[in-house]
Amino acid sequence: MTRTLLRALNTPLLILFVIIGLAIQSSLFAPWPLNYFQPDFVLLTVVWCALRRNFGEGGVITLFIANASEIHSSAPQGTHLVSYMAVYFFMRSASQFFVIPNLFSYAMFTLISSIIWKLVGLLILHLLGASGNQWRHTLTYLFLDASVGAAYSLWVFRWLEKFDWITFKNARAEHVVDEELQLENEGF
Amino acid sequence: MLPSKGRDPNMIKYLKQYRFYIILFLFILIPVIAIDTSTRSPREYRFYDRIIVGLTSPIQATISWSLEKLASSFENYIYLWNTHKDNLALLEENRKLLNSIANLRETQQENIRLRKILHFEEKFNIESVVARVIAKDVSTEYRSIRINRGESSGIKKNMAVVTDEGIVGRILRTTQNTSDIVTLLDPLSAVDAIVERSRARGIVEGLTDDACQLKYALRTDDIQPGDILISSGLGGIFPKGVAAGTVSRVNRKPYGITQEVEVRPSVDFSKLEEVLVVLNGVIE
Repeated sequence: MTRTLLRALNTPLLILFVIIGLAIQSSLFAPWPLNYFQPDFVLLTVVWCALRRNFGEGGVITLFIANASEIHSSAPQGTHLVSYMAVYFFMRSASQFFVIPNLFSYAMFTLISSIIWKLVGLLILHLLGASGNQWRHTLTYLFLDASVGAAYSLWVFRWLEKFDWITFKNARAEHVVDEELQLENEGF
Repeated sequence: MLPSKGRDPNMIKYLKQYRFYIILFLFILIPVIAIDTSTRSPREYRFYDRIIVGLTSPIQATISWSLEKLASSFENYIYLWNTHKDNLALLEENRKLLNSIANLRETQQENIRLRKILHFEEKFNIESVVARVIAKDVSTEYRSIRINRGESSGIKKNMAVVTDEGIVGRILRTTQNTSDIVTLLDPLSAVDAIVERSRARGIVEGLTDDACQLKYALRTDDIQPGDILISSGLGGIFPKGVAAGTVSRVNRKPYGITQEVEVRPSVDFSKLEEVLVVLNGVIE
């Protein structure tokens, strides 16, 4: 019962953690020069969901947290929803074609995802006719932001791995629970 | 066997068969319809957004307060380092005294800033609310800020936000106790401005973390580096005559209708702590 409850709480808790992460990101990393080292908790969670959740659940979480990110930014309406969803689709597709075995590979994909996220955002701004000279700024900080994101991912993904294990959301934990249930059913 | 009432087995079969494509379609559709191509404006708060902001704003306020205190304590520590070597016995007393002095200095600085703001308020004859900056934009691409005053202080959308140095931006959206501001540096900001010396006109838009651009300034207009830009009062948001920035670079090509003008904002956004929200609109 406790395990089922913990498992059910995984998604709401994950969304809550991302919202707290957004608050930390926008206040702790606000002063210069810390602003150049701010992690994008939403992007990291989107990458994690794309690789560790099923298609429907991951997509819904992505929509929720992209929306939360959008209300903490002056980005035009829908920009974050589209760009984070693009990253989600990219990571889902990438996981079909590439083997992503360890945290280091996750970090590499986070780096690429961060670049894609920024370029998609810039493309949307361009299509909305609001990009102006924004591309200069985006390209200047493109690789710095992506590298920072990749560096944080090593730590955040380790933490998310633990979180999923505690809330019985990861495959290994599920297997252990299934085995225990089977043993219980067999009278052990 | 007859199908159960209200359920079409074929429909359920198709839904199951094409479940992935239906979900994929929805995931593409929802973000696309969210984009507002007509206004290009940021999102307004919905009721559930207010819950999220209600969760994040106390955390943001606490962190920004703690950072301020931490920075002040660190400065005191550095100041005390040599004293510690000289006289251990007096250290404790010294530290307490210096802490008090630092606090008094902080209060004095705050007093000076607030006095300047008050002077600004009197100069432009405006009714306003002083607010503290508690957070910045989550994305490095956009440059909005959040303040600790909202609807309960009479703040509404599109009110002007200024400091004694000049224009900060305008109110984007509000909750009961917080407001988001689109700063002058934001790529989506637009402030109608005129050059104080030659009265040439243009629109100031955000460019980078510390620069803006004056758009739509005619090539024939007399604009020189060092010229001061002030708000024109058009648009009904900013009072006329508030400083927007200083021209830092002018690129006038031999052809074309407009010239490229880069502007340094008069407000130092990296050190922005308190702002003034103008409550009573434009008064010349």
